[in-house]
Amino acid sequence: MVRAALTPTRRIGQAPWRYAAYVPAVTVVLAALLSALPIISASGWYPDFGYLVFIGWRLLRADPWPAWWAAPLGFVNDLFTGYPLGFSVALWSATMLALDLIDRRTMWRDYRTEWVLAAVLIAIDEWMQWRIAKLVDGAPPLAQMAPPLVISICVFPLFAWIISRIDAWRLGR
Amino acid sequence: MATARPGWSRRAQYGLFFSFIAVIAGIIVGLILLTLSLVAPEQFQRVRGAALDVTSPITSGLHEVTATVEGLFTGAGDYWNAANQNAELKRERQAMLRRMVEARAIFQENRQLKAVLNLREHERSTIAIGRVVGSSFNSPRRFAILSAGTSDGVRIGMPVRSPDGLIGRIIDVGAIASRVLLVSDRANIVPARLLRNGIPVIAQGRGDGTIDVRPLEVGRNPFKRGDIIITSGTGGLYPPLVPIGRVVKLDDDGAVALPLADPANISFAIVEPAFEPAAVAAETSVAAEAR
Repeated sequence: MVRAALTPTRRIGQAPWRYAAYVPAVTVVLAALLSALPIISASGWYPDFGYLVFIGWRLLRADPWPAWWAAPLGFVNDLFTGYPLGFSVALWSATMLALDLIDRRTMWRDYRTEWVLAAVLIAIDEWMQWRIAKLVDGAPPLAQMAPPLVISICVFPLFAWIISRIDAWRLGR
Repeated sequence: MATARPGWSRRAQYGLFFSFIAVIAGIIVGLILLTLSLVAPEQFQRVRGAALDVTSPITSGLHEVTATVEGLFTGAGDYWNAANQNAELKRERQAMLRRMVEARAIFQENRQLKAVLNLREHERSTIAIGRVVGSSFNSPRRFAILSAGTSDGVRIGMPVRSPDGLIGRIIDVGAIASRVLLVSDRANIVPARLLRNGIPVIAQGRGDGTIDVRPLEVGRNPFKRGDIIITSGTGGLYPPLVPIGRVVKLDDDGAVALPLADPANISFAIVEPAFEPAAVAAETSVAAEAR
């Protein structure tokens, strides 16, 4: 047993991909581009893909990108999704800050706490979207925001899994 | 930036500090941008238009694929009961022909009456024809992406309709694509009236694909199920006599209507010039506020 664990599993030529440092940011941009899909829906029940992938990476790793990248990534998301410009810039930067502060407090984490954390962040995202729509009298009743919230929270584990696969691939594991 | 203490290295400590500053700067910049885009959205028209143009080829291309696949299935379905459908269509055509003759007579009479009254006749013209290729499916707002932009003559504030009914109005425009504020968006308020008796009503989206209609005058609920709501042309933004929706449910002081032009099922959307050009200038600021 011990011997097996000690034998190096690392093979020659197995190393992080050359552009591994940029993979997380690129996947976030690709997720933001998902809103270019030709889906014509009468209700806005689809999740905010960009934000799901963003918090997915940030919960998996503490440093998927330099902290200040949150602002330009959020800007790209705003452009592609049609949110008011600046919404994701502020929210995503604030998310980086909040998760860093949380990281200082928490001693350990597991799947469930991460999911709860993600659920809270998604709820804040949906509520902010609703609040900003309310500012221009474009908001539906708050109860109508429940289905997209539940859908987003339920699909988050799927996104987290995909991100963990991409992470393993980019690091050559 | 994640580690609580970067150790004794002065350089690492500074790095941590500056990344905190950078994130806080990001939040502040975001809030400033957000305030600007809520208060003065026309600032960002160029950027938003450019983003629309970037994603438009993807959206349009994928839309072609899905439309083709859907067409194959419905096409196969049509062959399945071709004989029945043929008989039914023939019957409908006979009925339509009779109605059309009546309508033509009424149209002529109407024109004569209008000539007598010296009413100014608006020429109904088409600016551009596009396809609805996408929508804001991950937002509480109801927008659609239209595959026509400034290169086709589309400008902000122009009404968009399909042969079935009103779709909405343009609020963002790029060179080859534009964003439409759908009639089912809560910020879209359309002056309208009942087709049955001409009672003036106000149509406002509900954000879930349906429309809320309320009478202008408080009193008895004038709606019946199956009523057709049409635009009244008041305000000069939307042309009159464009069907908006059909009443499907009554509530205490109004009704809920379904849009007649379902953005998911229309093949073409027609962009028309704003009904009263004078209203356009005012509209650009209104459309901006509606964002």
